[in-house]
Amino acid sequence: MIKVGDTMINPTKIICLGTNYMDHIEETGFEIPGEPLIFPKTLNCLITNNQPIIYPKYLYNNRRYNRVDYEVELAFIVKDKCKNISAEKVYDHILGYTVFNDVTARKMQTKDIISQKPWFRSKSFDTFGPIGPVIKKVDEIRDPHNLDIELKVNGDIKQSSNTKHLLFKIPETFEYITKFFTMEPGDIIATGTPGGIGPIDPGDLIEATIENIGTLTNKVILEGEENNL
Amino acid sequence: MKIGNTDIEPTKIICIGRNYLEHAKELNSPVPTEPVFFVKTLNSIITNGNPIIYPRILYENEEFNRVDHEVELAFIIQQTCKNITSANAYDFIQGFSIFLDITARKMQILDRNKNLPWYRSKNFDTFSVIGPRVAPLDEIKDPHNLNIELKIDGVEKQSSNTKHMIFRIPQVIEYLSSYITLEKGDIIATGTPSGVGPIQPGEIIEASIENIGTITHQVVLEGKT
Repeated sequence: MIKVGDTMINPTKIICLGTNYMDHIEETGFEIPGEPLIFPKTLNCLITNNQPIIYPKYLYNNRRYNRVDYEVELAFIVKDKCKNISAEKVYDHILGYTVFNDVTARKMQTKDIISQKPWFRSKSFDTFGPIGPVIKKVDEIRDPHNLDIELKVNGDIKQSSNTKHLLFKIPETFEYITKFFTMEPGDIIATGTPGGIGPIDPGDLIEATIENIGTLTNKVILEGEENNL
Repeated sequence: MKIGNTDIEPTKIICIGRNYLEHAKELNSPVPTEPVFFVKTLNSIITNGNPIIYPRILYENEEFNRVDHEVELAFIIQQTCKNITSANAYDFIQGFSIFLDITARKMQILDRNKNLPWYRSKNFDTFSVIGPRVAPLDEIKDPHNLNIELKIDGVEKQSSNTKHMIFRIPQVIEYLSSYITLEKGDIIATGTPSGVGPIQPGEIIEASIENIGTITHQVVLEGKT
């Protein structure tokens, strides 16, 4: 159970899309995917608006791993249990939209990708999944594919794009995912991040904004210094 | 969900890849120097007796039509925990079960070779089988000395002993909990021995671990009952 704004949700999984904006694909050097590229984050990573992102000491103190990145994303929340949903019916199964920050231990991820290991540990540290500030209902967002999306670190704009640049749009993404897996109410799907990804450091203030939804604000704190807030 | 007589409420399933030397060799994977973890999502879980559904999108596609069995020893987390040392690991384990990590092998290899995440190949509905019970900690004197085996239609396919694990349970908990918070009910599967191979619709899969029991599941093609 997690409260996002005034909405209680009880997600059983978080599924994220990788490489779903062309400018992000170019900056990472990944191939353009022929179908949505999906990976999970575990629920221990979830935090909400104004809660701190904890930068693990384990990463901070290790030169092989000491880069952690922000990734602002449009996320949608599943409304009901469903499977095999066709693209034209997708919006019937979406509760609403929110802002998601897919915080990623970048050096660790790169190392794991190169050695063909799963993308898990780099993505699922505690607090690596900020979500919020609210869930906007489907009928409040006329077109989820025409929203400005932006991320600032300490007031400086780092990512700035529009959801119209999503490679796989929400209907085809959800059709694809539900071909594989049963979705449950509250499940979170994050649709991928635009270009401009970069590092966060302890002390940074991260503001992730999507037009008509709001701003998700989280401060970065080094593990062990939570009490010095 | 109920495993035998035990109610558990997992928030995640974490599996270890390549944790038996012989299995790493049969997959042509390097022997890991630290545990390799991946996630299975909860939609994949079934318990004792329910069928393993073979998805049509795999069965009818030559690129994807191989689905494998993998029998594993799993343990269940007793309470929320983080940064556990190996010396205290058993204080945080509720008990042990048998786990089948069903894997769409061709899809996994295809994804792996493209440096893509191992996710979809592992997480079809019914691809995580657990049961027949949660054997409490005090019933299992040494979890690293249990015979583990899997049969298809009565023919033995995997047969090993948990003493051959590369990373032992205390090490696994220490390592994993240094990354992430583990919650009560979470399921950790400790990897499969060699002998993995395909399953087909109609087959009966029986997986056993000494002192825990046997789980029996039929493989059914999606859309057939």
